[in-house]
Order: sequence, then structure tokens, then C-alpha cells
Amino acid sequence: MKALVCVKRVIDYNVKIRVKADKTGVETENVKMSMNPFDEIAVEEAVKMKEKGILNEIVVLSIGSESSQETIRSGLAMGGDRGILVKTTSDLEPLNVAKVISKIVEKEKPEIIIMGKQAIDDDSNQTGQMLAQICNLSQATFASKVEKNGEKFDVTREIDGGLETISVELPCIITTDLRLNEPRYASLPNIMKAKQKKIEQIDVGSFGLNLESRLEIIEVNDPPERKPGIMVQDVEELIGKLKSEAKVLS
Amino acid sequence: MDSSNLIDKTEIKSEIEDKINSYDLILKKLEILSKKVSSFLKSSCVKDGRVSSSLLEKVQYKSHGYAWFETYRISLRELLQWYKRLSSTNKNSPLDALVLAGGFSEYLMQIKNGIMMSQSEIIRPEDLGLTSEDFSFFNEENFSEVINYGLSEDVKNEIVKYLCQGNFPSLGLGDETLEMIQDQFKKFTDEEIIPEANEWHLADKLIPDEILSKMSDLGVFSIAIPEEYGGLGMGKVAMCVVTEELSRGFLAAGSLGTRAEIAGELIRLGGTEEQKQKYLPKIASGETLTTAVFTEPNTGSDLGSLSTRAVLNDEEYTINGNKTWITHGARSDLMTVLARTNSDEKGYKGLSMFLVEKPRGNCENPFPMDGMSGSEIEVLGYRGMKEYEIALDNIKVSKKNLLGEKEGMGFKQLMETFESARIQTAARAVGVAQSALDISLQYAKDRSQFGKPIVEFQRIAMKLALMVIETSIARQITLFSAREKDNDERCDIEAGMAKLLAARVAWSVADSGLQIHGGNGYALEYPISRVLCDARILNIFEGAAEIQAQIVAKGLLGRD
Ligand SMILES: Cc1cc2nc3c(=O)[nH]c(=O)nc-3n(C[C@H](O)[C@H](O)[C@H](O)COP(=O)(O)OP(=O)(O)OC[C@H]3O[C@@H](n4cnc5c(N)ncnc54)[C@H](O)[C@@H]3O)c2cc1C
Repeated sequence: MKALVCVKRVIDYNVKIRVKADKTGVETENVKMSMNPFDEIAVEEAVKMKEKGILNEIVVLSIGSESSQETIRSGLAMGGDRGILVKTTSDLEPLNVAKVISKIVEKEKPEIIIMGKQAIDDDSNQTGQMLAQICNLSQATFASKVEKNGEKFDVTREIDGGLETISVELPCIITTDLRLNEPRYASLPNIMKAKQKKIEQIDVGSFGLNLESRLEIIEVNDPPERKPGIMVQDVEELIGKLKSEAKVLS
Repeated sequence: MDSSNLIDKTEIKSEIEDKINSYDLILKKLEILSKKVSSFLKSSCVKDGRVSSSLLEKVQYKSHGYAWFETYRISLRELLQWYKRLSSTNKNSPLDALVLAGGFSEYLMQIKNGIMMSQSEIIRPEDLGLTSEDFSFFNEENFSEVINYGLSEDVKNEIVKYLCQGNFPSLGLGDETLEMIQDQFKKFTDEEIIPEANEWHLADKLIPDEILSKMSDLGVFSIAIPEEYGGLGMGKVAMCVVTEELSRGFLAAGSLGTRAEIAGELIRLGGTEEQKQKYLPKIASGETLTTAVFTEPNTGSDLGSLSTRAVLNDEEYTINGNKTWITHGARSDLMTVLARTNSDEKGYKGLSMFLVEKPRGNCENPFPMDGMSGSEIEVLGYRGMKEYEIALDNIKVSKKNLLGEKEGMGFKQLMETFESARIQTAARAVGVAQSALDISLQYAKDRSQFGKPIVEFQRIAMKLALMVIETSIARQITLFSAREKDNDERCDIEAGMAKLLAARVAWSVADSGLQIHGGNGYALEYPISRVLCDARILNIFEGAAEIQAQIVAKGLLGRD
């Protein structure tokens, strides 16, 4: 069985994000980039399935600039077998990403597609669902547990108010939630092995897709700064402030 | 901190681009001074065309000063190279530019006014035969402007603003694989080591077996061992990257690899084919943990005069003697023991190296082997592996366990491992310095006095700026010596310089870090108190600071 794992290069989760002065986006120059944490979980899940003998090949896909190769390489160092980079210089919105992935799905015909439920840069949480529609595949989103059950997968999903377990037929799309697993560290031997693994490069233009943007970013702003709290001496002062400053009492 | 008044980023970088030419010219001037100092010293210590050890000892303070002078000069050269490499690939950040400017000026002023060999011993230009005339180039217009820029408070304030936003200077590894290694080991350290380190230290525990086996799985012990013997054959730069990260979490974590490194290098360079086949694969996999058994109660720096004896009867050697300061002496499987095989040779020529297998001990039963006993030495820091004083009483080993199966080679074999061990130790020191910086920066942002975070006071900010500057300089000379080694260049002197500087930097950065913590820094509960204790050892082992300076000075004077 073959898995396609989709990974996105995003600003590292440890980096304090800074909005560009002209408010068109966030600073990415000289900023540390890493694999989207939800996608790391997707890679880990695939590698675990391969270790259990459920899968025999893991293809790691990324869509982005030349630098996204590094992200694919990290996936290969965790245990992916080969990579595909669809090269584009423009920032694609979720629908367009789903369209591009659908082309790779047509080409690779994986039985299972695993990807993060969302990327931590734009938090869209749409690509997996859109891809399911385009490819007409079953989908299990927000997975916190995945188990093979005969020819199907039982997937436990984190939903409001509890857990839901659904059974999906193959081929299927699984989007990962935070608690699905803990991604491994890439060991030195595996990092060295990853250097030899192939990454195929495909130009996004070669698919002949209409990738026109339907979304327009008007402005990016910092979240409003939280004012530091103050210490009050006594209840009287507190009530006074609630009346005069916070204006929640009258 | 308020980020709105940051100097425009491109402006900082272009300021520096204009200065690079001057930095190059200043380095040329320093080269001339260096030659002058060298001939000044040679006039008093060269006899019959060779450096005389006894004459050199008469000018020990000055010659060590020369070692430091050269360490500074090479450090600045490598700091500049680091920046140029970054800038040529457009990866230089404004913070990198500021660190270059600040570092250049600070170290240049020390060269001119007095270099701190330690916090009490300052070597002044007059000691090295230099006069104020030699430094007149400092006043030439383009140079004085460049130097004053780097000395300005603005530069240091800007550095601290970047730090406060979570930026650090680029490592400048310049290689995707190395960057991935750094990234993975950073994660491992942040998640598995840092949360536990203080508890291991305070309880004076061994690093748990579980962590050890995770490190084996990650390949820590196999880095330097050649592929044909089950290792990864990755070279010293990779080793530095891994070592720095692990040491940033806990010095002993970064030092576990040192033991594999020493034993691995001893066997790789000095062992017979059979010894390599037998031991290297198991060292690489972490199955065999090694310990270095050299020092004795009466011989530390002067190893050549040690007195543990190994006597051959037929097929076996019998070893007798007392060893001390043996790190990881109990939880280890293979000792590399330096002992005297020729009692007629009192010096280093009578020494041989033995590979002595032993059963692995634990805290309750450290030495489960006949003829081997010992007791733990309680220490200030560097905990996690435990140090022991060990008595070897009629320990029998086969002739096959003599390294290289050749007597009298022990000291030479050990010396061949020094380059690697010094580079690795320098990387450990850089990791400790970085850890002090990380912890103290956070504290300075969190702690408020007089109504604002203390990082906003100049005296705190200046300390942080110098901490990051010196840590970067130490890192770059360390990586430089590692690259030299990987390119098969002789680099004993450079490795010594890296160790010398990085150890001093680790100590001063840890000390400043503790100062930033005020009273809390003195509390065991705060990790900086541990980092201070850990930092202190770096100036003592793998060649004490004085011995290291001696080696560098002697090497330099003998080189040309
Ligand atoms: C925590 C710890 C762990 C260690 N681990 C190991 C280990 O695993 N295996 C092992 O074999 N050893 C180990 N050592 C020993 C270490 O290598 C020695 O402590 C070191 O070599 C210094 O020797 P010494 O302590 O005998 O000091 P000494 O040699 O007595 O030196 C004392 C002082 O005199 C100075 N000095 C000595 N000679 C000169 C000179 N010619 N000119 C100027 N100054 C001089 C020294 O620099 C030092 O400041 C360890 C030590 C410590 C503290």
C-alpha cells in the first residue's frame, strides 16, 4: 500500500511572528522555517504504518519554492521513501493546493493520503476536505487515532464534546490532529540516508490548472497588545477601577 | 522591548558592507604585529634554531600572552569569514552584522589595551614587545570610525533588541544536512534534556539509561567512527553541532560523546585491524561505553611522568596503580588505560595504552570486577556521569589488548586524539555559554525592578550583548578548527585556541548570567547556578588553561 504525505514549509512554531511594516504579510526574511507541526504528525503516522507493515511506500509531497525541498528532506529523514516537489513561486490558497495535490493523486494513485488538519501559518483547515471532494475520496478529519480494520481504517476524531470513531474505505484522506502521535527525531543515520533519496521536481504550470486566486489579503495586523495587569490594594480600589476605568460597573 | 525604533535593517547591513574592507585591512595590520611579537619572543627562547623549553619557561607569562594574542587574531579573522560567507549567500541578518561590528571592536580594544587571559591576568602590549606606535593605525580615519562604530552603545542596544525578539546570530553552517542535524538535536535537547537537567544535577544522578539509549539511537556515539566499522564517518563539524546542542541542555550530555570520541580515535588511529573490528562497531552503537583512564593522583598536566605499571608475563600484562578523576568510571564497559611498560624510561616514551574490558557497574556496585576498587569524588558540577578515584590491583589483560600491539606508543597515540578532543571540548564550552545566554536572557525579560524589565537597564543589556558576541566568536573559531580537521589540515594549534577561548567565554558568560539573576542566581533551584558550576570545569580538563596556552605558544613559535 502506498501513502502520499503532504507537508508544508511554514515559519517555525517557536519564532515570534512579526508583521511587515507595510502590512502585506509577515516577515519571512532570515526567519527560521520548519515543517508544519501537523504535517510532522502526518509523516510520523505514515512511518508507523510502514513499520507495522501496513504500507510499503511513503511519498512526501510539498508545494512551494525550491526551499521546500528542505522540508521534504526532513520528511525523508523521518522515514519517507521519496519526495515530490511541485514548484511554484506564488502563495496558493487552499482550493488551489487541493487541485495541485489532486493531480499528484491521479499520477501516484496512493491508497491513503495523510496531511495535517491545518497549517499553522494561515490556519485554513480546508485543504484535506477540498481534496476529498475533488478526488471523490472518503475522508477522516482531525484524526487522533488510526487503526487498520480489514480493508478499512477506523479513525477516531476529536470533535466538540468528545471522540467519534468512523470507518473509512480506501482510498481515503486522513487529516491529523495534535494528539495522534509524537513525531520522532530524525536520527543521524536516517538524516544521512535521506541525502540519497530522490526528490522529483514538477513545475506547477505543467498541470494546466487554473490557479487564479479567489482570495485577496487586504491587510495583516498584529493582534492588539495586551496591557499588563495591575495590583490593587483592596476591594474598594478594585470596585473603583471597575467603575471608572473598565466601566463594567456603574 | 519596543521594536518600533529599530534601525532600518538594510541600513545596518549596508553600514557593515562599507566596513568589511577596513576589517580586512585591520587584520593585515594585526598580522604584522603578530610577526613582531613572535620575533620578540623568539629572541629570548630560541637556541640553536630551536625553541628551548627551559628558556620558554622563563618567559611563560609573555609567551602565553602571545598565544592569547594569536587566539584573538584568528578569532577575528574567522568571525569576519563567517560574516562574509553568510553575506555571499544572502543569509546574513542585521544581528549578524552587529555581532561582527561589536566583536571586532571589543577584541581589537583588548588587543590594544590588554587581553584577559583570565579575569585576573591581563596581558598588555608592552609585555609582548609592542609599543603605542604599533597601534597608531587605530587612529587612521577610516579605522577609527569602524572601531568606534562597534564600540558604540547603539550597536549593543540593537543587539539586545534583536535578542529580545527571539533572534540569535546565524550559526553559518552553510549546509542543509548540518542544519537538519542542528534542528533535530535542538529539539531533542529542548524536549528531553532541558526539562530534566537541573533535577539530575541536584540529585547528583547519572543521566538515566533511557536517555543514553535514546542518544545511541540518534547516532551520537557513531559520528566519528568510520562507516566500515559501523559508524557514520561524519566528521568534526557534525560532531560540534551535536555536541553544542547537547551541552546546551546539560554539559554531561554533551560529554558522553567525548568518551566515545577519545576511545574511538585512539582505536581508529592506533589500533590493529583486529582491535578496530572488535571494538569500534560496539562503541558506535552505544553498546560499549568507554572511559578514559589517564590521570593519577600525582600526575595531571604532567601525564608523561605517570607511575601506573603494566608488566608482561608471557601472554598477559598485569596492571597496578592508582588512577583518579575517571569520568563515567563505573557505568562503562571499556577503559583506555595509560600505563608504564618500561620502567627504565621515566618519561612519556615508556608509556603504553591498554584496552581493558570491565563489567559495567552502577551506583550501588560501581566496580564489580576483581582487582578494581574505587570511590566517588564529589564535585561542584559536571554531574551526570560521576568521577571516581580508582585502584587497579593486579588487573590482567591479554597482549592483544595493548593498543596497536606495540609498547611505548601510548603517549603518542593519546596525542593524536588531542585535536579531536579539544575541538569537541570547545564545542561543549560553546553549548554551555549558549545555555547561560538563553536562560539569562529570559530572566532579564521576565524580572522587573524599578518598574521595568531589568533587560532595559544598560548594565544588563551590555552584559547580554557581550555574552552573545563572545559566544558567537567562540563558536566560529571552534567550527573553523573543525572544518580544518575535516579537510585533513593540521590544526592542533587552532583546536587549542578554540578550546582556550571557548572555555574562558563559557565561564565569563555563565558568571554574567548569574549576575543578571541577582540573588536567585545563587539559588540551587535556578538552572544558572548549575550552569556556572558546569562552566568552571571547562578551563581545567582536556588541558588546563595554562597548559593549553603553553601548547599553543610552543606550537606557534615552533611552526615558522
Ligand atoms: C571533573 C573532572 C573530570 C575529569 N575526567 C577525567 C577523565 O575522565 N580521565 C582522566 O584521565 N582525567 C580526567 N580528569 C583529570 C584532568 O584531566 C586533570 O585534572 C587535568 O589534566 C589537570 O591536572 P591536575 O588536576 O593534576 O592539575 P595539575 O596538573 O596539578 O595543575 C594544577 C595547576 O597548575 C597549572 N600547571 C601545571 N603545570 C603547569 C606548567 N607547566 N606551567 C604552568 N602552569 C602549570 C595547571 O594549569 C593548573 O592550573 C578530570 C578532571 C576533572 C576535574
